[in-house]
Amino acid sequence: MSATPVPASHPRLRIAARTGAAVLGGYAFTWGFIAACTALAVKLGMDFHDAEFLASALGLLLFLAVFLGTVASRRGALLLWGVLLGGGALLAAAGSLLQASIA
Amino acid sequence: MPEPQIAHGWLLLGAMLACAAGMAWLALAMDVHARQVWGRGLAPAMAKGLRVLGALALAAGLWLCLLADHPTMAVLVWVMALAVGALAVALLLAWRARWLRALAPWVRRAA
Amino acid sequence: MFHSFRQAMAWLHTWFGLVLGFVLMAAFFFGALSVFDREIDRWAIPATRFEPQPMPSFEKVLRPAFERLQPPPEMVEAMRPRVDGPMPERFDRIAYWSAYTTHRDPVLAIYAGWEVPGARNPDEQLYAVGTIDPRDGTPLPDDRLKIGSGFFFPLHYGLTLDWKNLGIWIVGFSALVMLAALVSGVVMHRKLFRELFTFRPGKARLRSALDLHNLTGVVALPFHFFFAFTGLVIFSATYYFPLGHTQLHELHELHEQHEAAALGLPHGRSGVPAGLANVDAMVGEAQRRWEARGMAGDVGFLVLQHVGDANGYVSVYRAGTDRIALVGQGIHFKADTGALLREDPPATPVARVAEFLTGLHLQHFRHWLLRWLYVFGGLMGAVCIATGFVFFVEKRKRQHARVGSQGVRIVDALAVTTVTGMVLAALGILVANRLLPEALPGRGDWERFAFWGTWALALVHAGWRSAPVARGLPNPAWREQCWAIAVLALAAAVLNWITTGDHLLRTLAAGYWPVAGLDLALLAVAAIAAAAGHRLGRRAEAAARIGAHGGEAAHA
Repeated sequence: MSATPVPASHPRLRIAARTGAAVLGGYAFTWGFIAACTALAVKLGMDFHDAEFLASALGLLLFLAVFLGTVASRRGALLLWGVLLGGGALLAAAGSLLQASIA
Repeated sequence: MPEPQIAHGWLLLGAMLACAAGMAWLALAMDVHARQVWGRGLAPAMAKGLRVLGALALAAGLWLCLLADHPTMAVLVWVMALAVGALAVALLLAWRARWLRALAPWVRRAA
Repeated sequence: MFHSFRQAMAWLHTWFGLVLGFVLMAAFFFGALSVFDREIDRWAIPATRFEPQPMPSFEKVLRPAFERLQPPPEMVEAMRPRVDGPMPERFDRIAYWSAYTTHRDPVLAIYAGWEVPGARNPDEQLYAVGTIDPRDGTPLPDDRLKIGSGFFFPLHYGLTLDWKNLGIWIVGFSALVMLAALVSGVVMHRKLFRELFTFRPGKARLRSALDLHNLTGVVALPFHFFFAFTGLVIFSATYYFPLGHTQLHELHELHEQHEAAALGLPHGRSGVPAGLANVDAMVGEAQRRWEARGMAGDVGFLVLQHVGDANGYVSVYRAGTDRIALVGQGIHFKADTGALLREDPPATPVARVAEFLTGLHLQHFRHWLLRWLYVFGGLMGAVCIATGFVFFVEKRKRQHARVGSQGVRIVDALAVTTVTGMVLAALGILVANRLLPEALPGRGDWERFAFWGTWALALVHAGWRSAPVARGLPNPAWREQCWAIAVLALAAAVLNWITTGDHLLRTLAAGYWPVAGLDLALLAVAAIAAAAGHRLGRRAEAAARIGAHGGEAAHA
């Protein structure tokens, strides 16, 4: 198992990229998760504030896991950015679609 | 129905003591700490006995907490009592290990 | 980037812990002080040193007080550009009047919000806060800084950095890092149970610092985790992930309308003026209903919505003094007739969990032992972080000395500032509170200046004295600031006596614990700091003696 090749080494840049992915990518992914989870719960009949709370609590734990996983991952930072931002966007879109189907 | 203040205080004191004693017995059941306190390790049967005693004391602490308060608060009191108990035991082991002999007077120390 | 998961976790723990540890120290320390925020307020504002009061009568006490409230002129001016047409002389389109009290509050905070006619954003309101003596409704001066609930408390969740809520974001991020540090710490430590009671103060400083770091981290692990987690959850929907106001705004609106329709609690004004029935009678009815459900209790929260309008309603909530939930069992009445509109049903399971997690953190319950256990937990967290800094510095001191790097010297100076410096700042504001003239205009600003000024002085002192660290030796600032703490803590207690006459013998005899408790705590801090300073002094002398005898490296 080899890591995705990285441009000729600037350790500071690598650390910054990795940290950025963990923090900002993680935030984006969590936002998307909370959007999808809240909307889904409301669609299934839960009260909005209950849904928002449940999604936030789960989302924060997810953020923690994603944060740790991103730092520890053997994959390259670019791939991680992609997965987190892309995944977050998809989840957010799902949330908005669900909202549209309810409202 | 609120417990009268005095009974409430006694129950909580009992809970704190039970949790501290429980933590102490669990510590004494560990070889490294038994050596600190008695100068020697314990026989496996004795260590197991202390572990059981410790677990029972912690359970008793929880029960006393539940008698004293609404369950939502009792659980928090118990978890924090465990923390205080563990810290107290660690500090005693570091500075006054011999005092813990009193909690298992049936154990004979190293010659 | 890393060879193993464990190595990654160690890197994360060390570097994120180091950078955010400074913020987390403040959150834990001022959070611990906030447990007794209202008691600190009593100490700081002697005019409020009387017994906590239950929610007073609306008709006799609250109504005149509410009617007197108007938004502060600066807020009115600030909003003028966003309003079409003139601003009214007197605001009377009341959005809400509310009062909140707990079993620890002698004084009562009252809040009012007003709709502004012609506002471009109809949701933007003006609001005001007032403080009254609940025994007779006398307004109390609002210009006294509530050092506990108005300074230490906001400091712990937002560093009082209000620009764009930057402080709240910084503390939020550091809370996430705290959770990461706890998990990564467990991964690094591994022998969680086997070494639970391991503390070897006699060993080399590096080992005993690490032992203490592990001990304080592990014994209170559930506490540290839950406080960081619940803190994040509490602010999540409002600040960190405000989906309800942004992406999911429609769902939020839908919920508001649905609730208004189904529950008979109108969302907006009708425009038809109406009177206000006897609120005391409504409160009495609410208390009767709680008692009928086997949960007799005090009123914790009273809200009047759309006062003076036909859609107005009054909500009475029960104080959660005997349980974790903050307030609950709301009962709602129609404002103009006093008829019962709705009795809140028992909470859903998710809502119960939410109440538990929020109440766990905000602690409005009556349980003095648990309160003190919270202070203990908070201090454990602070010690954990502080010993983390000490470990970091000790580990690198000798290496850095050999290569002539200044890095660890800077970290050590910052560590002194964050540990002893922070305590000095807290004492500084208390001393200033007693020394400043009572009638000084902007007294609160001067007190805040004393706080930040003391902290800045501690930073300068720590930096100035830190040269030995670059040679692999301890920073004398630790010892010196310990003595400064002892002096300031004692001074604060003595100043309380001199300036208010409420010395310990008097407050203990009267059983007035808010002030007696803080004075006792100050004396305890003085004693501990003096002992620590003394111990550090003796260690320094011993090291100097060894150093003088043939220059052998001092065994730490």
